[in-house]
Parts: sequence; structure tokens; C-alpha cells
Amino acid sequence: MRSGMNRKTVGTILILSLFLMAADGGGDARDERESLNELQQSLRARIETLAKEQDFLLFQKAMYASDSKYLILNVTAKTGQLKYKNRVLKDFHFQLQGKVSGNKLRTGMLVLDKKTEEKSGRHVLIFGDALILQWKRSAVPAREKNIPFITLTKRDLQSVFYAVEPGARTYVLR
Amino acid sequence: MLSNGGFIAILLFLFWPSWSISGTQPAPIEALRTEVQSLQQEVSRLEEVNQGLRRMLRELDDDEVYLVVDTESNRLSLRQGGDVLHVAKCGTGSRNSIDEDAGRNWYFESPMGSFTVLGKERNPVWIRPDWSYVEENMPIPAENDPDRLVRDVLGKYALLLGNGYKIHGTKYTNLLGTHFTHGCVSLGDDDLEVIYKSVKIGTKVYLY
Repeated sequence: MRSGMNRKTVGTILILSLFLMAADGGGDARDERESLNELQQSLRARIETLAKEQDFLLFQKAMYASDSKYLILNVTAKTGQLKYKNRVLKDFHFQLQGKVSGNKLRTGMLVLDKKTEEKSGRHVLIFGDALILQWKRSAVPAREKNIPFITLTKRDLQSVFYAVEPGARTYVLR
Repeated sequence: MLSNGGFIAILLFLFWPSWSISGTQPAPIEALRTEVQSLQQEVSRLEEVNQGLRRMLRELDDDEVYLVVDTESNRLSLRQGGDVLHVAKCGTGSRNSIDEDAGRNWYFESPMGSFTVLGKERNPVWIRPDWSYVEENMPIPAENDPDRLVRDVLGKYALLLGNGYKIHGTKYTNLLGTHFTHGCVSLGDDDLEVIYKSVKIGTKVYLY
């Protein structure tokens, strides 16, 4: 009597569970949900990439119309360009040193905050708390030592240093 | 032996859809489809805008050659688009000054900014300015004095940039790569010939 009732109950619950699972969409619906989720993720990643690209293109458009010299720094290639409108004035290489890796550098547009010139031509370009361009570490003021930095050769930094003024824009690409 | 209630609870646990256990019910599949569709539209919109921006920037680019003078490192480069066609050591303004007893003074610095090649000269003649006489403690001749016309000091060619500034040759080739001129840009003979033959009137020159 008791085992008969158990069987009946089990059967009812199985049917009920299958019904609920079917109501949830069943196998086909789950497959579609999974593929939609994957598509959703890849579309979001694509949007992020396109939005970044658009940001850079808009920066270039603005600088082509501007009368100021500007810098483009490619953290992955470790190369930079000094540009004026659509013209490249200078190509240079730089190094990421010490604890600073490319990942720590903020990407996008930065604005040159100040230029400091210590003795013996120790020039430093400071972009707020985002980035420092230097050729010698000892030239960086103590209070700015914790800012991520990149290192250029002395000759390249001097050329760039006198070419740009505070307010000049730089775009950091990865 | 399990009671009926216990048995039912275990079965429910095993078969109940997982979202019921976690307590988070997924969005209806229709809502997911709608969101994916709107993301696809956003991708298309961004691609279209970016393509338009790229096209616009390409149209602003040109294939013209141009000259760049780095007055810090004293290098002149001939460029086209992103390519560097030629690099040469050059001389730029000495950043020195001279004073005349009469009160005039001159500061010898190369001008900065964007210029255009306004003229091209072969065998240019130097019209010696007043400061050149002051510099050598010589009496300044009249403005039209033929003594002011000096040949064979500017090399074989000169590119005119306006306001008396030129890109020309020099006798002081050992000083190329330094600041030694009175403001003009000096080049060695071979480099000057390459540059002269590569540019035309209207070519842009950028000094920084």
C-alpha cells in the first residue's frame, strides 16, 4: 500500500518536473538561449572596440582642424609620433620601465599639464596623474614619482619638449 | 525509510529547473532576442560612423611631400604621408644676439611654425644684411651698395620661406647638426640637391 503510493507520487512528480522543464523552454530553447548569450557577449565586445576606435578617430578629426601640435603614443608598439594636423613631424620609440607595464597606462586622450626643466637639460612632461614623459628618472620631481612614466631618448624628449606647450593633447593607444 | 514528504523534496530538488534553486529567473528569451537585435543595430551604427570618419580623414590626407625641421636636434626630414624619404643634418639659428651701438639688436633664431616654399633659386646670391656688418665691426654700406651682393656662400640652391628665411647651402659643413646660423636652415651640398629636386613651390615646411 505504502510503496504503491510512493510510486504514484514519484510518477506525478516526474511528470510535473518534466512539464516545468518544458515550460522553461526545453532543450531547443536552452540552446537558443546559450547561443544568444554568446552572441550578446561578442556584440558587447565589438561595441567596446568600435567605441574606442571612434574615440580615436574623433580625436584625429579634432586635431586635423586644430592649430596645435600633438602626440600619439602606441603602448603596444612602444612608438610615438609628434604630429601637426595630418603631418607627422617626428617618429620616436620609448620604453616602459620598472613596475610600469603598458596595462597601467590610461588609454585615450591626455592633456599636458606642465613642463619642468631641471638642470642639465633634464626635461619632464607631466600629464596630470596619468603619465610622465622623461628621459632620466632623476629629473622627475619627488611628488610625481608614483605617476606611470615612459622613457624617451634625451634627444627625442628634447625635441618633443620644445615642440609642445601645456594644454597640448596626447592620445595613448593600446 | 524516507517519508513521502522527504521523498518528494529530494525529487523536486533533482528535477526542479536550476534557476528556481538559484532564485534568479532569466530574462524571457524574447527579451534576449530583442537585446541582441538592438546590439546588432548598435554595431552597425558604430561601423557606419567609423567608416565615415575614416573616409573623411583619408580625404584630408594627401600624397604631397613636405619638409620638417627639428630645430632642437638640427635634423631636416623630407616626408610623404607616414614615410620618411630623406633625413639630413642641418644648421639652425644660433640663439645668439648682437647689439649695435646705435641701439639695434638682433637675435638669431630660426622661425617656428608652418611655412610654404615660396620660391626656388639656383646659384642664390646673398644680399648681406646690416647685422652681418655689425657682427664683423664693419661700416654699414648703403642699402643698394653692390658690396652687399655676395656670391657662392649659400650653396647651389635655395628655397625661399619668406621674411628673408631660406633653406640653403653652407661653407661650414663641419657645423651641420648644430645651432650656428643666423636663422636660415643650412644643409650640406648633397642633401641640399636632394631636397631642392624633391620639392616644388607650394611645398609645406614645418619648423618646430
